[in-house]
Amino acid sequence: MRVVFAIAALLLMAGAADAQRRAAVDNGPHNPFANNQAAIEEGRSLYNSTCTGCHGANGAAGEFGPGLAIPGRSYARTTDSQIFDAIQHGIPGTPMPAQQGKLTDDQIWKIAAYVKGLRGTAIDAPSPGNVANGEAIFWGKGQCGSCHMVGGKGSIIGPDLSQLASLRKTNSIIDALTKEQHRVYGPGGAQPHLLTPLPVWPVVRVTTADGKVIRGLLRNEDSFSLQVMGLDQQLHLLDRAKLKSVVYEPKSLMPTDYDKRLSKTEFDDLIAYLTRLGTPPEPASPQVKMPGGPERD
Amino acid sequence: MGLRLALAAGLVMAAAPVWGQSADPLLKPNPADWLTYSGQYNAQRHTALKQITAANVGRLQAKWVYHMAGQKDLEATPIVANGVMYISQYNRIDALDARTGNIIWQYQRQPIATGAQRGTGFWNNKLYVTTSDKHLLALDARNGSVLWDVAVHDGLQLAGQAPLIAHGKLIVSGNQPHGFIQGYDADTGKYLWTWSPIPGPDDPTALASWGGQKPDGSPIWVSGSYDPELNLIYYGTGQPEPQWAGEGRKGDNLYSDSIVALDPDTGKMKWYYQNTPHDTHDYDSLEMPVLVDGMWKGKPRKMVLQANRNGFYYILDRTNGEFLQATQFVKKVDWLKGWDGKGHPIPDPAHDPSVKGTTTCPSTAGATNWPSPTYDPQLKMFYFVAQEGCGINLRDTARNYAGTGYLESPEEGKSWQLFTRALDAFTGKKVWDYEQVTSHHYGPGLMSSAGGVVFSPEEFGQFTALDAKTGKVLWHFNTGDVITASPISYAVNGRQYVAVVSSSNVFSFGLPEGGAK
Repeated sequence: MRVVFAIAALLLMAGAADAQRRAAVDNGPHNPFANNQAAIEEGRSLYNSTCTGCHGANGAAGEFGPGLAIPGRSYARTTDSQIFDAIQHGIPGTPMPAQQGKLTDDQIWKIAAYVKGLRGTAIDAPSPGNVANGEAIFWGKGQCGSCHMVGGKGSIIGPDLSQLASLRKTNSIIDALTKEQHRVYGPGGAQPHLLTPLPVWPVVRVTTADGKVIRGLLRNEDSFSLQVMGLDQQLHLLDRAKLKSVVYEPKSLMPTDYDKRLSKTEFDDLIAYLTRLGTPPEPASPQVKMPGGPERD
Repeated sequence: MGLRLALAAGLVMAAAPVWGQSADPLLKPNPADWLTYSGQYNAQRHTALKQITAANVGRLQAKWVYHMAGQKDLEATPIVANGVMYISQYNRIDALDARTGNIIWQYQRQPIATGAQRGTGFWNNKLYVTTSDKHLLALDARNGSVLWDVAVHDGLQLAGQAPLIAHGKLIVSGNQPHGFIQGYDADTGKYLWTWSPIPGPDDPTALASWGGQKPDGSPIWVSGSYDPELNLIYYGTGQPEPQWAGEGRKGDNLYSDSIVALDPDTGKMKWYYQNTPHDTHDYDSLEMPVLVDGMWKGKPRKMVLQANRNGFYYILDRTNGEFLQATQFVKKVDWLKGWDGKGHPIPDPAHDPSVKGTTTCPSTAGATNWPSPTYDPQLKMFYFVAQEGCGINLRDTARNYAGTGYLESPEEGKSWQLFTRALDAFTGKKVWDYEQVTSHHYGPGLMSSAGGVVFSPEEFGQFTALDAKTGKVLWHFNTGDVITASPISYAVNGRQYVAVVSSSNVFSFGLPEGGAK
């Protein structure tokens, strides 16, 4: 059974260093269209007709301008009013032109809302489309549930996607479905901490001393042991010394031809569904100290 | 290729649910697993594993350490099922390979929380998470996915006790606005019932025991035990409010400071026994009720045993709450004048807290406290952590609802002292003592074993193994940080492990490879 897989080994984890998480204090006006889905959609159209020439589609960098939502990149302008100002007045000393007079203030605010959404995760600016149809494709034609779980439903082999849109950017979700090599964009500040044992899901094929073959996803390993989630949906806790062989397969189990196996509408609907899987981010959530019983009384 | 993947996936989907369980595994516990806070429903905390014995425990060695990042002062008892260990905090569970300590998955709900969370529960491949935002979650034990997420009924915050699953009901409890226990369907999260030790108008007798004052307090922040035959759960309840001022609440203040037996299906109280009526010293009754069958004074009895914070070791009939016996287990107890002949103690008002301070024995920290005791069914011995020492109870004004504190010891320069103490379970007579040098305030709980060893972690990090018969030290290991949790034992691939949580680390110990199997 030979299948084309995405190259897990080349997945580049961005994660960590989002400098934009050092959120600037915003003393300027707030965006009147923040969290307004219809306005953000308008912002997306305006961005696509105005900004992609330099900044690229989905803020992923273009020919002349920097990407607007690149993990690890430190942005000088992070607040609503700073982004608005950069679009309205341009950035002196750079090719960034002023849009004042070309776009109305409302239009600029809508673009700013869209750009800000790009810097968060997918849930900050979910993709348009028929969400219910996207969900049906997830469980049906897309076969996503044969590896993934959402809300306790589906298979336990692959990553649980219940919080996907809170953890990943829209770009990264689209890339995962369409590109064998892609970046996994970091949390973008929406969810400050969620560790998985291994950030990627490498495929292993293990042969035990008695010749039994176990294929599955490596959840963890060290020099002496392996923890493998088998395609049989069983967790295998293995001693390396007792194995005949361990083969690390170079490719992920994740298919990357969804843009081909689905129609354009179906694909968009699936993305609309996936970019809504999660909890919209809340303001900064520091550690909480819970009262227990008396710890020392 | 998509088709081929789909076919393969289809085969996977069709596979039998190999992790499925139909019967309740705790009815005949497999000693390789540790599926509930106390290891067994009867809360004896006794492992039937006997690879590690009094003869070989001296060779015990650390097998692995797991650091739970971002945490400290963990109080959780780990759960082990099918070779996987689960360690919990509010909003979080980490799943580890119990042989190696390698993490398999982590569930973290935002925000990251710290606090005295004491464990999770395992049922039908589900684990339960108590959240910091008044929710209760079930996770799929295989991958940490959320299976259901319900708001706690009445918008209450659950306390840190590990949930108890009894008769398919998920039992949880809390402190605010006053003590309560709730039951949920463990499979679906459906809310079933609430019971509170605070009596309402439908219980006029109990209500009358508060001297006209509105009943309050009785927090419930420790898990309980369960008798599947009688289908009763046993819980302790906390102290009445106001804590230090009793003059406004004349009477016994039911059902504070009591052991209660509830039906897990309905939450109806079958019986209660009040250890400390009209408590003014914050004694609580939250020490684990341990369920033991045996001969008491020549007659077979189903008993519940409890070493109580008020200084007495109790034996009750757990079918009906009948008082059988109470034995003083610390040197000095003076909060009561005596007993009324029916197992009802008479508190001594001369020892009520006062503005100038009143010496009382035991101190408010208790003659023992919530860290778990253990019972050895072979030796018929009851082991627990005893604390010798008196205290001074103060109140800041003479007014009702006075705030206050207490002082550690009436004798300057002298601290309380902790002992691991062994009693003959059915007479309450002391058999031996092990002094936990440098431990002056309650720390961790205990575990006994079929191998004749009592595992006794100590407050400042020593993990000590004692001879169950004599209390002699057989082995010790310095974990390097404070221990407040109770040890457990489990087995994977025929090898026995003993594990304990020390601050932010889980330690697991076993015999050397190639050693005794």
